[in-house]
Amino acid sequence: MSTVSRRRTRGIGVFGALLGLVTALGFGLASGSAARSSLTFNPVDLSASAPLHLGTLTLPTALANLVLGLAMAAIGVELVVRVPRRGVMARFGAVALLFLLALLLWAVRTTGPAPINFVNLTAVLVGASALTMVLIFGSLSGVLCERAGVVNIAIEGQFIGGAFIGSMVASITHDFFFAAVAGAAVGGLLGLVLAFLSLRYLSDQIIVGVVLVTMLSGLSSYLNLQVLTPFPQYNTGNLAPNLPIPLLTKIPVLGPVLFDQNGFFYLMIILVTAVSYGLFQTRWGLRVRAVGEHPQAAATVGIKVIGVRYTNVILGGAVAGLGGVAFMASQGQFQPGYTSGLGYIALAALIFGRWRPSGAVVASIVFGLSLYLSYNLQTFQVPVSTEILGMVPYLITIAVVSGLIGRVRPPAADGVPYRRD
Amino acid sequence: MSESRRRWWHRLTTRSPLLVTLDALILGFVVGALVIITTTASVLDAWRAMFSSWAAFGHACKLTADVVGAAYRAMFTGAVVDPRIFWHALTTGHGWTLALTPLSETLTYAAPLIIASIGVGIAFQTGIFNIGANGQAILGGVAGAYMGSLVHLPTVVHLPLTLAAGIVGGVVVGLVPGLLKAYTGAHEVIVTLMLNYVVAALLIFTLLSTVLQQPGQQNDISRTLTPSAQLAPLFGAASGLRVNWGLAVAALVVIFAWWFLERSSLGFDFRVTGANPQAARASGINARAVIVLVFVISGGLAGLAGIVQLAGTTHYLDGGFLIGNAGIGFTAITVSLLGRNRPVGIVWSSLLFAGLGVGGRAMQVATGIPLDLATVIQSAVVLFVATPVLVQEIFRLRHAAAGEVRLATSGWGS
Repeated sequence: MSTVSRRRTRGIGVFGALLGLVTALGFGLASGSAARSSLTFNPVDLSASAPLHLGTLTLPTALANLVLGLAMAAIGVELVVRVPRRGVMARFGAVALLFLLALLLWAVRTTGPAPINFVNLTAVLVGASALTMVLIFGSLSGVLCERAGVVNIAIEGQFIGGAFIGSMVASITHDFFFAAVAGAAVGGLLGLVLAFLSLRYLSDQIIVGVVLVTMLSGLSSYLNLQVLTPFPQYNTGNLAPNLPIPLLTKIPVLGPVLFDQNGFFYLMIILVTAVSYGLFQTRWGLRVRAVGEHPQAAATVGIKVIGVRYTNVILGGAVAGLGGVAFMASQGQFQPGYTSGLGYIALAALIFGRWRPSGAVVASIVFGLSLYLSYNLQTFQVPVSTEILGMVPYLITIAVVSGLIGRVRPPAADGVPYRRD
Repeated sequence: MSESRRRWWHRLTTRSPLLVTLDALILGFVVGALVIITTTASVLDAWRAMFSSWAAFGHACKLTADVVGAAYRAMFTGAVVDPRIFWHALTTGHGWTLALTPLSETLTYAAPLIIASIGVGIAFQTGIFNIGANGQAILGGVAGAYMGSLVHLPTVVHLPLTLAAGIVGGVVVGLVPGLLKAYTGAHEVIVTLMLNYVVAALLIFTLLSTVLQQPGQQNDISRTLTPSAQLAPLFGAASGLRVNWGLAVAALVVIFAWWFLERSSLGFDFRVTGANPQAARASGINARAVIVLVFVISGGLAGLAGIVQLAGTTHYLDGGFLIGNAGIGFTAITVSLLGRNRPVGIVWSSLLFAGLGVGGRAMQVATGIPLDLATVIQSAVVLFVATPVLVQEIFRLRHAAAGEVRLATSGWGS
């Protein structure tokens, strides 16, 4: 293990330990011994698939957050002392999730400012899962493209394209299958444009990506005024129905979050598994990684570098397009600019997850939860302005790509054009 | 005679940067026309009747040409000059304000765009991708608004101080990605993108929750700049034309940028770093200092663009400051690429894109085709400019003797 990576692990450890201390003191001891926080676990809607009923859990805020903070600090100390080789990301994810839980407990304490004095953990997780799902689609698209050596910064554009076409097709056919197919097709088409310009004509991949996003945001806004406004029947915005899995939905908390979701969520899980397995366990994955790390060497052993890159960028585009449809299916009718940079956050999740599907999933969960909380913390009347809260996810992303991960190593040939000669 | 004609033809069919740019423009407008045709209901209906009769076919062709022609004509008359109004002013001597308004509007929009694009272009020449010009410009505007509306001084002092505050605001936002890239290796693309969202939220926050908010207002509107901090109209307030001294600021920036890149030693270091980072390091150029300085200059120029927009055109901030038309930052990237990152090229492409924006608005008013078409055309043009070989193949141009594809960035290289 290199010194850089040891230092990075230690850095994460120190950060976690400090965050734990701040939590234990600021959210724990400072909230006073009288404060109580309540957690509820029952989903908002009580349909037939509702999970088993769980009572309200009331905790003394100070004690609970002290424990949470010390747990975070313990994980951080363990990282600094032992410097483990595996599972660093998972540990960081755990620290971040504990922090968010402590923040919630602090926000809803009984003597606090909020009229709501409980937090519905299930509702929070279900709400965050929609954003997480979209982020995972996006970062998975990035994994597919960048492992083959092409930077796909156009994820945001593919989200916009997928959401737009998905909303139109879903409104016309009332069938999310066709919406998903159309979204994947549009995303794949955008991937093809990116691949065509950057592989055949060796254009700058980042520039092409950024310009594609600008073009898609302009085009979607144009089409919204020119087509969707005069014909509102093309943008009715139906939400994809939930498909509860029998019995499993009865599990409290986990049931509604994992087993009572729309089809896109299950599709996402299948895709993550498939990409993870394919990339690291199959011949195809070995070839893709070879192309992304050392295309010349890959070419010498007979791998068609350009072909692999085309396939992966188109596939990646299709996955991001699906992400756009999934976003639309969970947020409602298309509006210009409503993905608000989610594609770029997915890109950050990909980098934070060190170009691995599993890492990207952990990063997406952390980002998704903090995004959701920053959108919704004002319901708990946290004494901070909405706008400042709205900055938090972006600031976290900046902190993550700079301080925490530092110089992580992308695939060696990522973004470097390949010339056949 | 025929020899010279042949040489002329040869030149017109051999790839050169200027020719590629012009051809890319043509292709961009073709894309725009296709977008109009495929999304306008009346045109599509006319084409649907194509198989019933020859007359319907002819009608469809004519209608298509009419719709596209009307859109582009409105764009031109709205951005440059309306020949009829101009002729009227020329013959009668009245109505000059109306005749010159389109040109004045285009120049008004071009001034901040030139400044911001030159900042982005200098970063590009150093191999750094500053996508954060939007955030830098907005904070420049915010800082300038504090100085320009809350402080009272005579113009001689106040205006330069206001402009300086704008520059400082842009530098502050620019320093974040600069320092992070230099010292932690964080990729500037992600950091600047995220900062754009942070600053957009900060703008709303300052407009709603600080002393900057217009007294007695609940909306996101700032105080108005005192007249001593405003950039006056170039031809006096009586002229009715909005074009202002911001254009002079832009001209100074162009001269500064030319001198900086072509004559100063720091500019030379920048260009060497952009052309060949290894060689730059080998020759003793301090890579970290270059990265930080690039962001100081690029961010400062973006901030200046923000304050020029505020002090020259809007005079107050609101929630939509610099957001329209995909945001000045993204337009600046496309302008800079179209102008090949050189000051003079940027002036021309800024004028063009400012004209597209202004003309797009006129087009929306006249024909109902949404203004966002301008953004589509702009990004299409830049896609083609970024891919010169594609343009060369479409127009079957001859290979140029020299001229390789040079990348501004490559990957996440840390």
